[in-house]
Amino acid sequence: MPEMIRVEGLQKTFRVMERRPGLRGAVLNLFAPRHRMVQAVNAVSFSLQAGELVGYLGPNGAGKSTTIKVLTGLLVPTAGEVQVNGVVPWKVRERYVRQIGAVFGYRSTLWWDLPVIDSLELLQPMYDIPPARFRSNLAEFSRLLDLEPFINTPVRSLSLGQRMRADICAALLHEPHLLFLDEPTIGLDVVAKEHIRQFVSHVNRQRGVTVLLTTHDLSDVERLCERVMILDLGRLLYDGSLAGLNDAFESFWSLKVDFAEDYADVNLPGLPAPRREGRQAVYAFDHRELSSAELIRRLLERFAIADLEVRRPPLEETIRRIYQEKLLVDGERGQAV
Amino acid sequence: MVTFWRIIKLSFLQQLTYRTAMLAGLVTNFFWGLFRAAVVMALLSSQGSVNGLDLPGALTFIVVGQAMLAFMNIFGSYELMTSVYTGSIAADLVRPVPLFFLWMGKDLGRSVVNLLGRGVLLVAVYAFFFPIQTPKSGLGWLAALGSLLLGWLLCFAWRFLVNLAAFWTPDARGVGRAAFIASQLLSGFILPLRMYPDWFVQFSQYTPFPGMFNTSMEVYLGLLNGEALLSALAQQAAWLAVLVLACYAVLRLGLRKLVIQGG
Repeated sequence: MPEMIRVEGLQKTFRVMERRPGLRGAVLNLFAPRHRMVQAVNAVSFSLQAGELVGYLGPNGAGKSTTIKVLTGLLVPTAGEVQVNGVVPWKVRERYVRQIGAVFGYRSTLWWDLPVIDSLELLQPMYDIPPARFRSNLAEFSRLLDLEPFINTPVRSLSLGQRMRADICAALLHEPHLLFLDEPTIGLDVVAKEHIRQFVSHVNRQRGVTVLLTTHDLSDVERLCERVMILDLGRLLYDGSLAGLNDAFESFWSLKVDFAEDYADVNLPGLPAPRREGRQAVYAFDHRELSSAELIRRLLERFAIADLEVRRPPLEETIRRIYQEKLLVDGERGQAV
Repeated sequence: MVTFWRIIKLSFLQQLTYRTAMLAGLVTNFFWGLFRAAVVMALLSSQGSVNGLDLPGALTFIVVGQAMLAFMNIFGSYELMTSVYTGSIAADLVRPVPLFFLWMGKDLGRSVVNLLGRGVLLVAVYAFFFPIQTPKSGLGWLAALGSLLLGWLLCFAWRFLVNLAAFWTPDARGVGRAAFIASQLLSGFILPLRMYPDWFVQFSQYTPFPGMFNTSMEVYLGLLNGEALLSALAQQAAWLAVLVLACYAVLRLGLRKLVIQGG
């Protein structure tokens, strides 16, 4: 697979004005403003292959949006190299943006007071899309995103879910090879989110569009991405498969067992005593030392069992721990980059 | 080019949806115009004419100028600035259209609505109160319209340039207000430049501002003929080239240090 995005040592520093409090402070600010440098992104390197769908995760302020803005050519980084499809985005922005699609979930690219269709039709001459091609794309996306019911409604009267669908359509009509989605499901209800996920998955699989997605909704990631990158405090902490993330940070899985009979003692040698409730017991085990198959075999040898369920800790929990305990920072980097 | 026309059309359609704002603007423009006409009458009634500008000419200058006010957007606009501050400029920058022409298209569409909805209507109503002069020949009309278009482009380029200050300061409104007051005064919008002292007029000739308004009105009134007319149009075109180049250069610098706000 050809390489689509290559980022090396990306760094973006913002100069932030520091305000001193109070009247005296205000006067001082006027004559001697104080600045502080904030590193939004620091030494971030990664690459994306064509056709990948990658989740870019991190708490608020981690530097996700800054990265996306650099990759879409809107910001000029302080240092580092970026090549997308062989070009440097910010150097040839106007030409470059023809090849990409971008959705910023919290703001719209549509004309606020005009019907959705007007904004979409403007894109045909703007990107020189052949009219027939434009019609067929519009028909396809409009069907998949269910735009028909509100395509003649002014954007300002749309619900958030409708607006987001229209914006995603507007980012794809010119058939970009690369799509940046910055929080495309922010503030949406479950049904609307699912709708958008299905569509993103469709364009990735059917049309081979490479997608880089930032989100705070981990169900988006679980549903869509095989690979995730985790960013915090401007640094890339993890880059790898979603499954690998779980394996690396959550070694304890649990096995829930429903016994078919009443047993006085269900402890297993070498394992901590399970939590019990009636005929049910929950065993915690380190899956790296003991496979679930082995554990189940041992249980079946000793007891009559009605039902079994292996549980991995939810992704949400893993990510929360990574953010909170800064699991990946410095020393304990595990398999991180 | 098609894109440019479509942007103008969309902006035109969008502006049409703001009917209440248009009506309010119309009423304000109308009364303010009457007031300004009264001031000029008071100034000129005893003198006959100043520097070749007589009372009917001056009244036409004021009244037609008042009708062009919304079209030319003489008071300035702060939209581009706002889009830098809110970060919505990001939506414009991910589209493959030069920012200057995107905003020119938006501005022009709106201006055309204002020309038709406010300008034409105002001139028609004022025609009942004042003897409004018109160019005396087809060529006169052509020159006036050409000069008016150049004036509009100059106004737009100036507004664009002023708004670019937003890339450098967290609140460029003050810069904007000062700049737009200067342009109102020096463009001859407040009073025809012929009514100012000589030194002021001479000073104004070193700026692009007379071309934004005064020149167009003088061409309309037929005060400039032959060589003077050609030279006036050439000056407008030359200043336009200067301002457009300045816009491009400043925009280039600004985008390099752009900080997209929010999220």
